[in-house]
Amino acid sequence: MHHRFRFFIMLAAVALLALVISACAAPAETGGEAAAPAAAEEAAPAAEEGGATIIYALYQEPEMLNPLIRTQTAAGEVGHLVGEGLIATDPDGNYFAQLATDVPTIENGLVSEDGLTVTYPLREGVVWSDGEPFTCDDVVFTWEVATNPESQAVNTTGYNEIESIECPDDYTAVVHYSEFFAAFLGTFRDVMPRHATGDPADMVNWNYNWDGFLGTGPFVLKEWVSGDHITMVKNENYRDYPDKPLADQIIVRIIPSREVGKALITSGEIDILWDLTEADVPEFEDNPDVDVNIRPGPGTERLLLNLADPTLDATDDPLNNPHPLLGDLKVREAIQYGIDKQFIVDELLYGATTVGSSELSLGWAKCDIPVSEYNVDKANALLDEAGFTDEDGDGVRECHDCMYAEEGDPLRLKIQTTTGNQLREEAEQLLLEMMSNIGVELYIENVPSSELFGSWSSGAFRKHGNFDILMYTTSDTIDPQSQMDGYFSADKMPTEANGGNGFNYVRWINMTATDAIKAAGKTPVQDERKADYQIACEEIAKDIPHLYLYDRSEVHLSRSDIEGFDINPWDNQTWNAQDWTRK
Amino acid sequence: MRRCPITTYIIRRLLQAIPLLIVISMVVFALISLAPGGPMSAFEENPNLTAEDIARLEEQLGLNEPIYKRYLKWAGHIVQGDWGYSNATRRPVLTEIGDRLPNTLQLMITAFIVTLLIALPIGILSALKQYSLFDHVATFFAFVGQAIPVFWFGLILIIVFNVWLNNPVSPSQGFAFSNLWNCGDCKPLMPGGGMAPYGVDDPTLGQRIQHMILPVTMLALYGAGTYTRYMRGQMLEVIHLDYIRTARAKGLSERRVIVRHAIKNAITPVITVMALELPLLFGGALFTETIFSWPGMGRLFYRSAQRVDYPLLMGIVMINAVLIILFNLIADIAYAFLDPRVTYD
Repeated sequence: MHHRFRFFIMLAAVALLALVISACAAPAETGGEAAAPAAAEEAAPAAEEGGATIIYALYQEPEMLNPLIRTQTAAGEVGHLVGEGLIATDPDGNYFAQLATDVPTIENGLVSEDGLTVTYPLREGVVWSDGEPFTCDDVVFTWEVATNPESQAVNTTGYNEIESIECPDDYTAVVHYSEFFAAFLGTFRDVMPRHATGDPADMVNWNYNWDGFLGTGPFVLKEWVSGDHITMVKNENYRDYPDKPLADQIIVRIIPSREVGKALITSGEIDILWDLTEADVPEFEDNPDVDVNIRPGPGTERLLLNLADPTLDATDDPLNNPHPLLGDLKVREAIQYGIDKQFIVDELLYGATTVGSSELSLGWAKCDIPVSEYNVDKANALLDEAGFTDEDGDGVRECHDCMYAEEGDPLRLKIQTTTGNQLREEAEQLLLEMMSNIGVELYIENVPSSELFGSWSSGAFRKHGNFDILMYTTSDTIDPQSQMDGYFSADKMPTEANGGNGFNYVRWINMTATDAIKAAGKTPVQDERKADYQIACEEIAKDIPHLYLYDRSEVHLSRSDIEGFDINPWDNQTWNAQDWTRK
Repeated sequence: MRRCPITTYIIRRLLQAIPLLIVISMVVFALISLAPGGPMSAFEENPNLTAEDIARLEEQLGLNEPIYKRYLKWAGHIVQGDWGYSNATRRPVLTEIGDRLPNTLQLMITAFIVTLLIALPIGILSALKQYSLFDHVATFFAFVGQAIPVFWFGLILIIVFNVWLNNPVSPSQGFAFSNLWNCGDCKPLMPGGGMAPYGVDDPTLGQRIQHMILPVTMLALYGAGTYTRYMRGQMLEVIHLDYIRTARAKGLSERRVIVRHAIKNAITPVITVMALELPLLFGGALFTETIFSWPGMGRLFYRSAQRVDYPLLMGIVMINAVLIILFNLIADIAYAFLDPRVTYD
């Protein structure tokens, strides 16, 4: 009899233990004052100070905030509430001085004629949020850490090209490059405090990476509850304090899905919802409580057409090993003629964006390329000409005296994109239909994004060239050099010899384009660079290694009483968080 | 030398667990390493990262060594009590888990207790009044609870209690019943997620409880369905047995027959099932945590799986493996306490 009850006692003990644990998790003050009545609980938490508390919802949690190791956009969103850099970019794509006083150019003499020396005059009197002064030494420190081989820094582009940084005085930084680096203005988008970090060799363990993160910006990190929220409060040492920031607190709330976020912004539980898609727009158009903020972004959804034999592993000679079907330019042209891009935009994106035409759709380097024509007759004629006809009457053309494929092989291509993305899956269905109209059969084989975007060493098929057609978006940054060079230069095909370097997955070799891109990377004169990119864009339009479907828009929701939120397609949306407020 | 048989049994079971844990760790490690894409895929789409950067990072994280070497390294550290660092956040694995585990336990154990408080009485009553209206309604809801997709049900809860319904107390006009669905300045009736209100420094116990209502409802509806049906089935089996008839024939009161004889015997297998389910509470509930923004273990596990963050994944899997083995043992021992016919050999 006794034994039987022992188990119940044990069970009760487990339950009790659980209650103790959960009580520990709740550091609630229950003693003393009576608990506030439930009705008043969520009413205007920071009303006592007059400023607003704004809840900014992200569906991705930052892994860490250190600008040299963070790679997620969400981490940048949080990081730029706190941290600043020498130069940043405004929504129109113009550089502006943040901790510097001027944007260096050749005209104002801050960039040398050869582009190898760049001088940044720094703002005087700026202090870190803990009160320590910001000086040229912090700029030097940032570079030292980025180039320290022990530091495990990830984002080192632009730092490795720097030979030295001189500090003639505390408020001047002179950067000497060993070779010309076209995107030099983007290098110091973030600077790190020497005094509040640690030994560069031990960077991955700095407390600065997480809740010890601090900067010169408008907000101070007060609390980070893993997986739940990050509380940011006004920086009283900010250079525009007490005029700015306008809000008292910004609470970054981590929501695990966009669907939940859409419900919460409808009920007013969150104020700003980050990063939706064009397809979410109609749902909120008639909602008076929610503003739809939308602006064209630099991303373009495209098809990558493999020009090399997909059965080979990362061939470095695509010209002699062409793709049996896509290797023929006429086939690629026919595919482009056969796609009604405007229909996709109207049907799936509710007309909320524009048809894609070139790699550089926005910014100072924007290419001028006409939109491709939708013409089924031309597509059919081209395929006939290329030796693809449907003689067995099954609706799919097959090779009859075509250029590269075996006689009788059907014009059948695999299309792949990331799984779990409704917009992309619907776009694939439309493409399937449009292609079957011209006798091309597409079949879908989607994979998780981690598999599609896998690394060279993990054997990812994109890197190794084992695909026909891929569909995804990439975005250029305000300086397009790394994007253009990485995706379209002939030497950027990932191969065994270069250790999988580069993004020229389609293995496109066009020396006119390659030379133009390389030239654009060697001069600081913007007009010359723009002309070079135009040449490259024209070659892309002619050869169609990438087929641009539609430009992506930036879509973010905000409650209608939030003011100051201003989409910046070139930077994080928190770029002007000091101006955010509530009406 | 004579030993207590149960002690020998426990020691033997614990020793048996060691090779089992080693095999589990090897299989899971291999599966993670074979996952396509690899831990570096998070960096691939970043045009600012060159192949050299990625190669350097792989070397620093020790990812370019062969699987067996990486496994031996991991295993060597783990036996010394070093769980390693998350590849994604570079924080210690135990810190990551320690941040989430209390949240998960708070939610899961509350939901478990609520589930039992609902399911056991309903299951027993349902069996006693078999084929009554109560029984039909209870069985219906038990099936509904199991059949509704939890993800959909959670979103519906948010839409109804957070988006549609308001707190009937308006700051400007005071209480009015119609405020529930029509009110300009009312707060939502229920919070749409999170563990406590945001922007409040010291949330009260009441506020914390309020934040648990919807997620616990979501978990309990599903769990109660299972336990109601199980309890009802066990009870039905028992009340038709001879010894119950004997008890009645002895002239015992109906109450005494049910409580002392029927329930006590019917609940034994239910308790075994409960003990087996306890370790699952540590794993959290991915869907509930995702819908209600609950910072728990389920989401941590999901995130690390997406990132192929193997030190963290291994940590979570091994803790779960140990718990499952432990609670299986506890269930076996408990069963013998409850049912004297079971012996250890």
